[in-house]
Amino acid sequence: MDLDISGARVLFELPVDLPFLGRLQISETIVVSWLVMLLIFLLCIFLTRNLRVENISKRQALAEMLVDTGKNFVVGLMGEKFAYMIPFVSALFVTSVISNLISLVGLRSPTADLSTEAAWAIVVFVMITKQKLKANGVGGYLKGFTEPIFVLTPFNVLSEFSTPVSMACRHFGNILSGVVINGLIYGALAGASAALFRLIPGAVGAVLSKIPFLDVGIPAITSVYFDWFSGIMQAFIFCMLTVMYISTAAETD
Amino acid sequence: MQVQELVGLVPWTIIAQILNLFITAFLIKKFLYKPINEVLEKRKAMADAEIQDAVKAKDEAVAMKAEYEQNMQDARAKANEILTTAQKTAALQTEEMLQQANKEAAAIKVKAEADIALEKRKAVNEIKDEIGSMAMEIAGKVIEREISEEDHEKLINEFIANVGETS
Repeated sequence: MDLDISGARVLFELPVDLPFLGRLQISETIVVSWLVMLLIFLLCIFLTRNLRVENISKRQALAEMLVDTGKNFVVGLMGEKFAYMIPFVSALFVTSVISNLISLVGLRSPTADLSTEAAWAIVVFVMITKQKLKANGVGGYLKGFTEPIFVLTPFNVLSEFSTPVSMACRHFGNILSGVVINGLIYGALAGASAALFRLIPGAVGAVLSKIPFLDVGIPAITSVYFDWFSGIMQAFIFCMLTVMYISTAAETD
Repeated sequence: MQVQELVGLVPWTIIAQILNLFITAFLIKKFLYKPINEVLEKRKAMADAEIQDAVKAKDEAVAMKAEYEQNMQDARAKANEILTTAQKTAALQTEEMLQQANKEAAAIKVKAEADIALEKRKAVNEIKDEIGSMAMEIAGKVIEREISEEDHEKLINEFIANVGETS
């Protein structure tokens, strides 16, 4: 029984090879991301069909509830002036949740690829820096690194960059650990199943031991935590941190 | 099939994922938030309009009530006025009638008195004549002699005149 946990498979390569960026590889991550985007798009279309002002359907009530939740989350934590962030934070959350949960149908989660979280963290880092520059000016922003004393400057710079790194690694680590643990559980249960049914003598045991009976049931329970809970929790934490960091950055020192 | 590193950064994937994130944000904004917000705005506008209508209706009702109360007050005042006028008129008329009655009564009294006096005089005159003729007859019978009638009459008249004056 060999367990193979690898990175994203490269589905096809485009004949583009730039210095630093490397060859343009379309990996599983990117393709599944497109699928996630398509799902989100279809969900939006589905939720906003036949909108009415009065006597609304359950579907519309759900859509309105989602919109309200997004609004309250962003406006409640960041204030009215960040209302333009609502679609971005919603996109971050819903992409993350669907990416985490898409592993349930057997696809590889785009969030099980550090590049995805790194991309999001870079965007958030740029937004944080933009808010800091806006609030304090370029001089104030650079001066902020030398506080409270000049000696701490390297550590301040380090802490500044550790924000996106920690955000990306936290999310990636949680999802990857889910993938690894689920892989281990599946593998272990298949092995146990094979060992158990090999006890039956003759051809019957040989055939039955090939079928991982124990893989039915138990992984569903563990996936409640490793896929559902962890997936939704990490998406929430990532959005929460994004919102908190950006609104803190907008405050003048 | 080629496999990327399990933990590694792929620049192209990062770029693609950044673009994907913004495209998703745009899609959500355009296809979820915009239509839902429009509906919410519409509903809010409708609710506001209804509240405004209600406020207007209430104002109208208050105005109507005030007008009604004013009218009631006016009507009451008018009724009072009419009543007072009627009472005054009645009192006036009563007095007038009383006065007229008094006047009439007085006039009747005066006329009655005059009539009585006239009747009295008439009666007196009749009695005078009667007494005169009676006296003459009596006298004639008593005396049994014929005196001139003219003398007699003269005498009696004098006598009656004296009587009438004293009565």
